[in-house]
Amino acid sequence: MLLAQILLNGVLLGGLYGLMALGMALVWGVLNIVNLAHGAFVMLGGYCVYFIFTGLGIDPFAALPFAFLAIFVLGYLLQRYVLNLIVRSAQLNTLLITFGLDVVLTYLAQLAFTADFRTINPSYAGANVTLFGLTLPLLRFAAFVAALLFAALLWVILQRTRLGRAIRATAQNLTAARLYGVDPAQLYALTFGLGVGLAGAAGGLYGMVAQVTPYIGATLTAKSFVITIIGGLENPFGIVLGGIVIGIIEALASIYIGATFTDAISFGLLLIILIVRPMRGLRTA
Amino acid sequence: MLRWVVPALCVIALAALPLTGNDVLVQYGIDALLFATLAQAWNILGGFTGYVSFGNSSFYGLGTYGTAIAMAQLHWPFGVGLALGAFLAVACAVLFGIPILRLRGHYFAIATLGLSATLAAIIANLNISGKNIGLILPLTRADNAFYEEALILLIAATATVAWIAKSRFGTALLAIREDEDAALVMGINTTRYKIAALALSAFFTSIAGGIHAYWITFVDPAGSFDLTLNVRMIIMAMFGGPGTVYGPLIGAFTLSAVYDVLASSISTAAALLFGIVIVLAVIFMPRGLWDLARGFRQDGVRYFLQNIRANRL
Repeated sequence: MLLAQILLNGVLLGGLYGLMALGMALVWGVLNIVNLAHGAFVMLGGYCVYFIFTGLGIDPFAALPFAFLAIFVLGYLLQRYVLNLIVRSAQLNTLLITFGLDVVLTYLAQLAFTADFRTINPSYAGANVTLFGLTLPLLRFAAFVAALLFAALLWVILQRTRLGRAIRATAQNLTAARLYGVDPAQLYALTFGLGVGLAGAAGGLYGMVAQVTPYIGATLTAKSFVITIIGGLENPFGIVLGGIVIGIIEALASIYIGATFTDAISFGLLLIILIVRPMRGLRTA
Repeated sequence: MLRWVVPALCVIALAALPLTGNDVLVQYGIDALLFATLAQAWNILGGFTGYVSFGNSSFYGLGTYGTAIAMAQLHWPFGVGLALGAFLAVACAVLFGIPILRLRGHYFAIATLGLSATLAAIIANLNISGKNIGLILPLTRADNAFYEEALILLIAATATVAWIAKSRFGTALLAIREDEDAALVMGINTTRYKIAALALSAFFTSIAGGIHAYWITFVDPAGSFDLTLNVRMIIMAMFGGPGTVYGPLIGAFTLSAVYDVLASSISTAAALLFGIVIVLAVIFMPRGLWDLARGFRQDGVRYFLQNIRANRL
């Protein structure tokens, strides 16, 4: 029974991880930027929801779309006026500049919000439902459902809208997309905004199940990395599944091996996957 | 002529620094020299082949622990400790490099990212390495000795890179950076060259780690396998000019100075400004200070605009 409960907790956490990694995979797949500041956007989204909830008294789930929008706009502007300037330079430079952005965002957050731990704690935070002997924490379950809804929203945008078609076309062939009238500067900015906006929404959910500080970004970036690799860049369902796998592994590891090992285990798994199945046929990314 | 005189004058100036008798300056000096060595070591693989390694912090960590275990647990002399650390790091580089160096681009970078986290977890569980608590090394020496060793190590690393830049080995590494498939077709055993570059990089990184461990007389898993240290190596090498002989040194010394000045004058905003410097540097001088010095003499302010024009969407 304990095992089943651990698995359930892992799955619930994994939904949020999957959502976070979807944003990274979108930016990586379309723009070929591995965004080292991705976790910082998760962090900012967490603060967004926290302040909307504590300051205005709006329910945190209702605040999620606002966090998504706020981070979307920030991401749009950053890509349009900063990252677009270097997008064609060596791969290393995109890693470096996003690392620089990560440092800037982290310390701006520290100056603005202090280093205090913040938790988004709505009145129903302690509520549980017992099902087949398993305890289902309502808040975590709602966060899981919200994560899946956002993931589904991304899928609909990508598959059913003009913007989504343009994004998918650009991911396949920028030159051809350009010939069909896609404005790359605009499209890159929209895609980046969408990617980090999802990170922001995931951040709001993260604030409900864990604590938000200015420094949570780095490990979350690393986690998004691992999940993206496990799930495969081109497959959104794979990424949500990858998030759930990592959630389960972390939950199992923290009970049976020790909480300090959770990161080492996900990275060990990453190494094994990369060695056994190098790049899944993607020769150069 | 100039190619030898300027470096020689720099070495003499650096060697004379302890004569000022300023202890704080010597301490800053040790730090800057070790960072310059780390940036130079990273440059061997990262700068010449374009393979971005986030695993150098694990070689650093093995260097610190090799020295610490030898000195604190086995009571061996410092030199043997350095050798043990270097052996562990080079062995790790070769064993790890064989499967990992088949990966390219972002995938290689991410695979190396996993290495230090995994090694830190292993070290934190071994009795001989003091588990989570770490090890305390004997406190015996004056800073000047460490300064001299750090300087000698930096000179050795730079001489090695200077040799690489001129040798067939270096040409092969550059060929890998420009087009790995073409290099392969030309008959270059790319895997062997990449592993050799990683092993050399690991060697210098681990010795720097060993010197640092004995200098601060303390090692622990979090401090030894620190990913931000690896990021600093990359930034310093990139800021100065990757794939050049002196670029990483210039980058390391400049950024160490900038950071120390910022940290002492405006401590809270220091890291923030550091981040802004990185962002601006990538936009305006993506090939580093070394290239800036050349380009600025030629084109003046237009150099910055040319960079943006070349790299923007």
